[in-house]
Amino acid sequence: MRKILFSFLFIFALGSSALYGQCDQDALLKQALSQMGDGQYIKDFAVDLQGGGEKKFSVMLNSRSLYKFNVVNGSGNSGEILMQLYDGDKLLVTNKVDGKVYPAFGFICRSAKVYSLVFSFPEGSGCARAILSLQKQYSAGESF
Amino acid sequence: MVKKLMFALFILASANLFVSCAGGSDKKKADQKDELTLPDSMTGDAPLKLSEEIIGDVIQNISSPVEMANLIKSTGVDFSQQMLNSPENISDYSTSFKRALNLGVYSADLGYINTYDKSNIVVSYLLAVKSLADGIRVGQFFDFESLKRMASNSSNLDSLMQISVSSFNQMDNYLRQQNRSNVSALVITGAWLEGLYIASNVIEETNNEDLIKRLGEQKEVVDILYIILQNYDQNPNFKVLIDHVGDLKELYKNVKITKEVGEPKRIEQDGMLIIVQDEVSHVNILPEDLGTIIDKIKEIRADIVS
Repeated sequence: MRKILFSFLFIFALGSSALYGQCDQDALLKQALSQMGDGQYIKDFAVDLQGGGEKKFSVMLNSRSLYKFNVVNGSGNSGEILMQLYDGDKLLVTNKVDGKVYPAFGFICRSAKVYSLVFSFPEGSGCARAILSLQKQYSAGESF
Repeated sequence: MVKKLMFALFILASANLFVSCAGGSDKKKADQKDELTLPDSMTGDAPLKLSEEIIGDVIQNISSPVEMANLIKSTGVDFSQQMLNSPENISDYSTSFKRALNLGVYSADLGYINTYDKSNIVVSYLLAVKSLADGIRVGQFFDFESLKRMASNSSNLDSLMQISVSSFNQMDNYLRQQNRSNVSALVITGAWLEGLYIASNVIEETNNEDLIKRLGEQKEVVDILYIILQNYDQNPNFKVLIDHVGDLKELYKNVKITKEVGEPKRIEQDGMLIIVQDEVSHVNILPEDLGTIIDKIKEIRADIVS
């Protein structure tokens, strides 16, 4: 009886720790911040897509600015997160290039308006945390 | 003896409970009165023209005052504390409406102060933010002691900035989850307006082209803000603010923004792929229009902080 109880507790603890590791948003945020680089933090995005689907956020970007979008995957994710920046229906940037998924991309905005940042797990589900940071602002005479 | 003691204790506890409840009732009445001024109590009363979800999504589109502060610093102009709203003014903000607006104002000031690494005055502004946040029941998002500790060490200023901005984002999310997007709209308006106010002062001093363009680009934000605020036009306090923003929107009509499509470009920098946008916008703003827009910004700001 004691063995059964112990096994049950062990499985429960293991399951809990796996779940915690998978979606500990605070830990993901810390990791994402450490990968942000020298830029200025603007905002972060908590993504929880355990049930699949996609998550969309609106972001206002200003012209003549280099923004960095970096994302950290939950440790228990079944697949890597896809992060895409859209202007309406037009895809501007994605973190998946030639089949390889990258943890970040940069975008030099030249037209101030509202854009959409879309997250999804094309091959699975999971959670993630992303950060938008301002890396550089270009002055009028400065070329990109 | 024990029974008597228990009875006495019971009476005392009951009396205490009664007094507490009575006090709570008075406090509740005062809160309700204030909420009517705000109006937090609008939730569930008059139907909103836009759903809370849409408002939340739209509010996210107001650009961060931190970006404006960065742009101001990049012009090379010196820091000026005189432009900012003094933390001593917080006692003047007795309604939730004023508190929410000025919470936004102080948050933009805090962003400006942090951008210039002025750790010597950070604490007084953090205190103002905390006090106003408590006043509108969102003080839990500002761990004043931790922020104060970070402010006392200049090597922590980047973290302080990140945590301050993050606290504001969390507060904003919470307000919207609680169907208090009216409060969120006021905080965002205050912060955005203060950013423009500081930029306007620097433009007058430097005539900096980048800042003028950034001010012109706010045409889209004014439109967004006007739509959000109109949602609460049944409240007299909001009415005045809406009229102000409506006037600003009219002045912005003279600002011309044209767009052209160029070639998209890819750069690789430190192992990161960077896309240079193919669409380029050009802002055209005449000096006389710039002057009237700046005057209006100053007028609205004076009204907010008064």
